[in-house]
Amino acid sequence: MEGKRTRVDIIGDMLSSIVGKGGQIKPTHLMYKSNMSHGQMKTYIDDLVQKDLIKKVKKNNYDYVIITDKGHEFLQKLREMREFEKAFGL
Amino acid sequence: MVQFVFSPKWFWGKDIFIDAIGVFVLVLIAVFSTRYYKLNRNKNYLYLALSFYLISFSYLAKILTNFTVYNKVLETATIGLFTITYQKIRVSEILFFIGFFLYRLFALSGFYALYSVHEKQSKLNIFLMLYFMAIATYFSLSPFSYYVFYFASFILLSSITMHYYRRYKRNKHQATKFLAVSFGIIAISQIFFMFVNFTKHFYVVGEIIQLIGYIILLVAFVTVLKYGREKNKG
Repeated sequence: MEGKRTRVDIIGDMLSSIVGKGGQIKPTHLMYKSNMSHGQMKTYIDDLVQKDLIKKVKKNNYDYVIITDKGHEFLQKLREMREFEKAFGL
Repeated sequence: MVQFVFSPKWFWGKDIFIDAIGVFVLVLIAVFSTRYYKLNRNKNYLYLALSFYLISFSYLAKILTNFTVYNKVLETATIGLFTITYQKIRVSEILFFIGFFLYRLFALSGFYALYSVHEKQSKLNIFLMLYFMAIATYFSLSPFSYYVFYFASFILLSSITMHYYRRYKRNKHQATKFLAVSFGIIAISQIFFMFVNFTKHFYVVGEIIQLIGYIILLVAFVTVLKYGREKNKG
């Protein structure tokens, strides 16, 4: 059984969900795809926006969350870390 | 007098280069592991980094000591004044002793730390093992009994190899296979170092086998990065 998700796991899931949707996603979809509550997601989005990993934009009267270049780099680092963890058995 | 030069003369410097490659690979993995620790604060990353740093420190101590030893002996060859050179070596003996002591202590501690990352130990067990390793390191410095050190290294490296092999059977990850192979090869190199007293050529063979082991360890690490990047593209 998988353990409780860490903060880094949640951020990884959020960024992966955005990338999976072609780099932009509606906040509600992000909430479902990342398996989070509304309050939890709001806190994480604010934090990730502050860290310049994602941006909030408005398109055709809809709110979207898009991943930044820094977000892509961070996601790559996370995936490398996961492979490292898997290979070394950490 | 304790034997300090295990390498045949024609191999001097080449062994330093081989050990430097080992240091490069170990530090590279340790740096990345530290970086990952900063990301997720999982202490296993920190312990893994620490074990690789300890092993790299051991090679650094060996490199510095060998460099000093070879230079001292080289002076004999160029000047040709046997008595003066002999005295220089006697004076430096304490330096060589400390150098080799640190090499062996850091190496055993590093291998044990790496083993402990995967096989959790109680605090008492860790304390007892460190005590045992300090004793083994000290006694391995007496003439002709350095094989105590290489035998201990061989046992620890074999245990690490077995861990990665068992892990590979579960996860079928290419990088884990390379890890098992690399540590297995480095373990085999210790057998050759054990018998260096019979002929110095065993030292050369041991160093070359060790080089192959560290190159495969580098391949394992590159494979990890490659897989991570491929997943990102996907």
